[in-house]
Amino acid sequence: MVLKNLDSHYSYQMQNKGEVMFEFIEGFFTTYSDILPVIALSLRVSLTAAFIASLFGLTSGVIVALNEFKLKKLIMRVTNTLMSLPPVLIGLLVYMLISRKGPLGSYGLLFTPTAMVISQCILVFPIIFGLTVSSVSEAAKDIQLTCITLGAGRRDTLLTILSECRMQLLSVVTAGFGRAISEVGAVMMVGGNIRGKTRVMTTYIALETGKGNFEEAVFIGIVLLCISFIINIILYRIQRRE
Amino acid sequence: MIISVENLVKDYGNARVLNIEALQLNEGIYVILGSNGSGKSTLISLISGLLKPSSGNILYNGKKFDASIRNHISVLVQKPYLFKKSSYENIISGLKFKKINKEEIELRLEKYLHYLDVELLLRKKSHWLSGGERAKIALLRTAVLETEVTILDEPTAAMDIESTFKAEELLKEIAANKRTVIVVTHDVFQARRIADYVLFMDKGKVIEIGHKDDVLDNPQSPLLKQILNK
Repeated sequence: MVLKNLDSHYSYQMQNKGEVMFEFIEGFFTTYSDILPVIALSLRVSLTAAFIASLFGLTSGVIVALNEFKLKKLIMRVTNTLMSLPPVLIGLLVYMLISRKGPLGSYGLLFTPTAMVISQCILVFPIIFGLTVSSVSEAAKDIQLTCITLGAGRRDTLLTILSECRMQLLSVVTAGFGRAISEVGAVMMVGGNIRGKTRVMTTYIALETGKGNFEEAVFIGIVLLCISFIINIILYRIQRRE
Repeated sequence: MIISVENLVKDYGNARVLNIEALQLNEGIYVILGSNGSGKSTLISLISGLLKPSSGNILYNGKKFDASIRNHISVLVQKPYLFKKSSYENIISGLKFKKINKEEIELRLEKYLHYLDVELLLRKKSHWLSGGERAKIALLRTAVLETEVTILDEPTAAMDIESTFKAEELLKEIAANKRTVIVVTHDVFQARRIADYVLFMDKGKVIEIGHKDDVLDNPQSPLLKQILNK
């Protein structure tokens, strides 16, 4: 009898907790309904930029890692410099390129998500390229030699190297994505932080902090942290499985 | 395939590591003997096209090295890299690069796998393999390619004695059907067991070459005599 009472008591408590949680989530998204599109746009822009930069950065990085040529040292020095390039400078360059009087002004890209993707690509490419060269240099040569001795063509060799070094390269891409999603200066300049159009998480935080709305800024900050945490969990699981 | 070497020279900076006036390799098993730094690995790297000579020529059936020649030569390097895949996938990786069909792959596996008793290793990922097991998988990966010329740099160095004997039977099988097999080894006894011809190298030059009985039973160079007497 006592046990039965306890059981019903706990089930009532659990049900109550569930309701409270549901009410909290419902209330939260009603209050912060303008936040979801911001999170979605952030992910869309940064994932697209990381994907495009990875496509070119990984391929060219592996090719440079495999070959010895005169300009290699110079290319790596320039890359290392570009890896620490201030985002506002990239923002300025892209702004000058796509503003109405700029060479690409006719495309009407200024204050669009496309402009934000372009600036993030420029920001992330040197990171992905540079880290790829340094992380696969040793292994890539062994793999290339093996592929050649087994009669593989250039395409198969490149694909095999990308596949064999996938764990290192996954970390490289994650670092690139991390840089893209946490960047504020360039997207602010070329996106304009327009509500419902080009506002992303970082520019949202900057704006709300300026207005003194710390609660919302902190919430977005926590979302950013959560995204980073989730990505790291996924990466860790993949590495463990490998 | 007839491999002809003419005035072959390889320099690294000011150091001349290889200098061979003339050499001709035909079908059969050629074992290259020589001490460390004698130029054995450099010679096979040049023959396999992995290195470019500083001067001189290597002709394959009278033709210079090109992409079509590469398809007829397979190489097992001293420290082979195994892909981060299962042993089975490693063994067939070369065949997949060459776009060999599934039926032919199965036939080749049936033909070669039993030589080295690797059936239990096939599902194992390469990083779980011991040094000797890795050597077996790498040797099989080269063997199944059935190229006209197979070049092997110390293929049995990591294997136990029993596996070495089995691998030697596999080498003889590779050399069947008028193929050329070039094996670098430090083991004179292995040379006696498997070689048709023996090359002895020292200081970047071929000191002696000939049928194994001639070279090993009646060596002309004092250095080889000294090594064989030990």
